[in-house]
Amino acid sequence: MTSIEVHDLHKVFQTKRKAAGLGASVRALFKPEYREVEAVRQLSFQMESGELLGFIGPNGAGKSTTIKMLTGILHPTGGDAKVLGYVPWKERQKLAFHIGTVFGQRPQLWYHLPAIDTFTLFGKIYELDDRETKKRIDFLTEAFEIRDLLETPVRKLSLGQRMRCEVAASLLHRPKLILLDEPSIGLDVVAKQHIRDAIRRMNQEEGVGVLLTSHDAGDLEALCKRVIIINHGQIVYEDKVSNLKRKHLTSKLVEVRYAQEVPANFHLDGVEVLKVGRYGVKLRFDTAHTSVDKVMAHLSSVGDLVDITISDPPLEEVIAKIYREAPTRMSRRE
Amino acid sequence: MKNFKFLIALWKANLQAAMEFRSAFLTQVIFMMVNNGAYFMFWVLYFDKFKAVQGWTLQDMMLLYGIAATAWGTAAYFFGHFTTLAEVITQGRLDYYLSLPKPVLLHVLASRSIGSGMGDIIYGIGSFIISGYLTADGVLRFAIAVFTGVCIFISFLTIIQSLSFWLGNTVALSQIALSAVLTFSLYPSALFNASTKFVLLTIIPAALIGSVPAEFVRAFTWQSPLQISAGAFVFLLLAVTIFHSGLRKYESGSAIQVEV
Repeated sequence: MTSIEVHDLHKVFQTKRKAAGLGASVRALFKPEYREVEAVRQLSFQMESGELLGFIGPNGAGKSTTIKMLTGILHPTGGDAKVLGYVPWKERQKLAFHIGTVFGQRPQLWYHLPAIDTFTLFGKIYELDDRETKKRIDFLTEAFEIRDLLETPVRKLSLGQRMRCEVAASLLHRPKLILLDEPSIGLDVVAKQHIRDAIRRMNQEEGVGVLLTSHDAGDLEALCKRVIIINHGQIVYEDKVSNLKRKHLTSKLVEVRYAQEVPANFHLDGVEVLKVGRYGVKLRFDTAHTSVDKVMAHLSSVGDLVDITISDPPLEEVIAKIYREAPTRMSRRE
Repeated sequence: MKNFKFLIALWKANLQAAMEFRSAFLTQVIFMMVNNGAYFMFWVLYFDKFKAVQGWTLQDMMLLYGIAATAWGTAAYFFGHFTTLAEVITQGRLDYYLSLPKPVLLHVLASRSIGSGMGDIIYGIGSFIISGYLTADGVLRFAIAVFTGVCIFISFLTIIQSLSFWLGNTVALSQIALSAVLTFSLYPSALFNASTKFVLLTIIPAALIGSVPAEFVRAFTWQSPLQISAGAFVFLLLAVTIFHSGLRKYESGSAIQVEV
């Protein structure tokens, strides 16, 4: 079953143009100039119920604008969208009963109150009865490990603790779908891990669909089964995360340490030497062109190996490469 | 009914937030009462020299202040964002309200409580009590006058601030409108000529908040309750219509926000 259907969604913002300086400011007062910025361009995609979909892109790519149109916050300039069967900008209130939203830069918890008070208020907003609200709070405090945080004013929580409470609050009314806009922004590694674990658990146990925007490839790797990469308001890549890795993670990074000194003129055909140290080398090679056996045989022939590490390049690099190639390419799942 | 339960929960949360800083809250309440009292001293000194102005006595001025202060205080305490709606719109802070399943204008207005509003309410009720119009009939008329006053204060400022959807930042314009409607609501319209009265009954509806309701409490005629009820209805309708038309133009924003 489809939970999100988007067809040719388009959003244009009109922004004021003004040259630098006071003179330009005065001129702009009498003769303002505007230009149109296409934040989202003819975007079309689908998301299945219970799916974990990553919506990845650099700053200004149109991720947040898309999420805001899908929640009914913004009206599109053109195109159609249905979320859980509702047209978001026409049936915003009805839709809001079935979805949860988390905006990393827009907390919904009341800053001066303990999180439990916002949870209780949300119970009223979502028209849950008091017993149901309490039961749900108990479940979420256990799932998100926030029992000790609930009675502390939100302003006194760390960013990571607060985000755990934010995501828990968005799930209070048992939504079928949550839209997370940069939920891990500014978080340290441990806090990110906590949030990812909890989201994964809610997806597995309650079947909640997750549409996640982020520019952190770690979120994508840890959570999502499928990814849509957008840049300049357009889809530049759409596929399973496993396919993304298979197709684009073809190069390997190798770090070697030797018992003896490494020859200064270390060289191997088809291999890029990134760094040569006194006792070690760092290499990169493409497995499509150079076999792993050949590289290993050569490395062993140079001297006695003390240590060797073979790894994939970070997913960020792969995605950055897709961004760079974006204008000339429109890769879609086949 | 569901929206009323929601409003009660929202006001409760506002009160809880205010209680986090009890001393600041109490200080605001007390200073607002003192401020209103000091402002009214002008009329005490005036009526010490003159018995009446255009038929209005010191007691009538107490009634006028009572109605205007209670209406303002009620609006400020229970619907505090009616003075800062333009900022909420231009800073993209409507996102929070739009992502929740409640009427967005009602939600945003009731999400802020101005503590000093409670000082206005206490002062206003006190002023009404000592004005000499405290009868069962007078209390009912006072309540109706305050209710329509709250509607008109909120609606008028919502209309002006909703212009932010089209004009961008109207914070300064809103401040001027706020000062104008509040200042003129504290004067009897009998002091002004016909064209000024017309302005105060329509473009800046200050007379519909202070003077006309006070006349309604002073002596019952059909004209004054009809005027204030029709005024409240028309301004409320305009406010809701203009705000919702503007929502289509809402552009959100990327500023980092917190909900207090």
